[in-house]
Amino acid sequence: MYPFGTYYDGSNGEMARKAGMAALKDAGLSFRDVNAAYVGHIFAQVMSGVRVMKEFGLTGIPVQRIENASATGSACFREACLAVSAGHHDVAMVLGFDKMTTMIQQSTQGTAPENMEDAILPAAFFALWATRRMHERGMKPEHLARIGAKNFNNGALNPMSQRQAKAAVTWEKVVESRMVAWPLTTMMSCPIGDGAACAIVGRADLAKKLHPDRPVVRVTASTLQSERYVPGHIFQGPVVGPAQMTVDASKEVYEEAGVGPEDLDLVQVHDAFAIEELEYYELLGLCKEGEAEKCIEQGDFERGGRVAVSTDGGLIARGHPGGPTGLAQIWETTLQLRGEAGKRQLDKPRIGLCHMMGGGSVCVIHILQRD
Amino acid sequence: MTTASKPRVPIKPGLFTVPEDPSAAPKFLCTRCEDCGEHFFPRRAICAKCLSEKTADVECEGRGTLYSYTFVHIPLFGSTNIEHVEGYGVGQIDLPEGPRLQMPLAGKQAEFRIGQQLRAELDKLRDDDSGREVVIPRFRPVGAGR
Repeated sequence: MYPFGTYYDGSNGEMARKAGMAALKDAGLSFRDVNAAYVGHIFAQVMSGVRVMKEFGLTGIPVQRIENASATGSACFREACLAVSAGHHDVAMVLGFDKMTTMIQQSTQGTAPENMEDAILPAAFFALWATRRMHERGMKPEHLARIGAKNFNNGALNPMSQRQAKAAVTWEKVVESRMVAWPLTTMMSCPIGDGAACAIVGRADLAKKLHPDRPVVRVTASTLQSERYVPGHIFQGPVVGPAQMTVDASKEVYEEAGVGPEDLDLVQVHDAFAIEELEYYELLGLCKEGEAEKCIEQGDFERGGRVAVSTDGGLIARGHPGGPTGLAQIWETTLQLRGEAGKRQLDKPRIGLCHMMGGGSVCVIHILQRD
Repeated sequence: MTTASKPRVPIKPGLFTVPEDPSAAPKFLCTRCEDCGEHFFPRRAICAKCLSEKTADVECEGRGTLYSYTFVHIPLFGSTNIEHVEGYGVGQIDLPEGPRLQMPLAGKQAEFRIGQQLRAELDKLRDDDSGREVVIPRFRPVGAGR
């Protein structure tokens, strides 16, 4: 990984090269061992996938750029897993990078009145979820603030995290931070940032041979779903949903991996806004419908709780540059399962789930297990 | 009936009507599936529910029920309209025919509650280079004054 942050003078190529070389070194491989590359880059110029891959050398491998909004990195990871598990490649490189800071500066279309849908910012869209939840379930801003505080405090233990709180963050501080879209405050929302992340996907026997003393982390399930039509579907704006998509996608991965939500030790979700994390607790089956607020009050999703969620700070603290975000989840889960997560290491986790949403929208979920 | 002092143009064509009478509510340009009856906004060629290609253009009245709402504390398109600067409302509004719209709201946050009836109106966003008013639909609680 290349630490997520704001790098006004940095380039995508440099961040990507550093993240990629770190991943190759971790795997014990050289770029010459890589059979294929899947590049995740959202705010892309034409040719940007194959051009950035030249940073590593020109070896003739197939290079594909894949885009699926926030779920870009996760979608790339899935393609690599499918290719390796089908026997097409022994080793595939998955590289995600983006500079949201540059995108925001250069964007003309993004805030143009001609795009009427742009009146509905992502923050507004998810705030609509929050207002509805308050109406239906009696949720309070405090519940969202507790998620924000948890993720800030987890992020403080992660050197790759964009937001590094100097002191423990309380939920009161999160509630009092600047309002973005009522009831969501800045500390309940992900920041704008830059970064890169890389995953090496290879045959399990190869991983064992390269690192005989390290547990092999296997991808035991992968899915990507787009939306099924339900009445009330919204066709405009940066929509994510319907909620049923996460339910359907999670059922599929639980069945494929032969596990249930009760077997999970850690979970990463698309917590671009705290209300999302709250809803995903229920949609992924981490708690019963209507019980998310109670479980938050009990600390069920803290590190050391029933099932730790957003252990690296999540999108809210670790950051959400775009292309690399889903790969940061894979990085965190892999480190945790290997026991290499440093100060934020959980107690011997065995099974982790990574969930990403991409606007439009799609849901991508992977389950990772250690041998 | 009164007539608008300046010609009015929609912020984006193909989404809603701009009535001659400025006090009249805009209608939303929707599609009805001739096979299953489902309504959609904006217009589309193929029914998203039953995949039928037998779809018809319809206009739905600018009124509905508030499903959810928020107030965004970032100025709307750099607008200097005080209501936008103090935080502008965005809501999801269910039309009686079925479509759920995501649209700006007109009014203060305290005026809104989930489940209430809203009516659409056209709000001037700015003048364009030809001196025409560029308008955007917003929903206001029924019974609330302008």
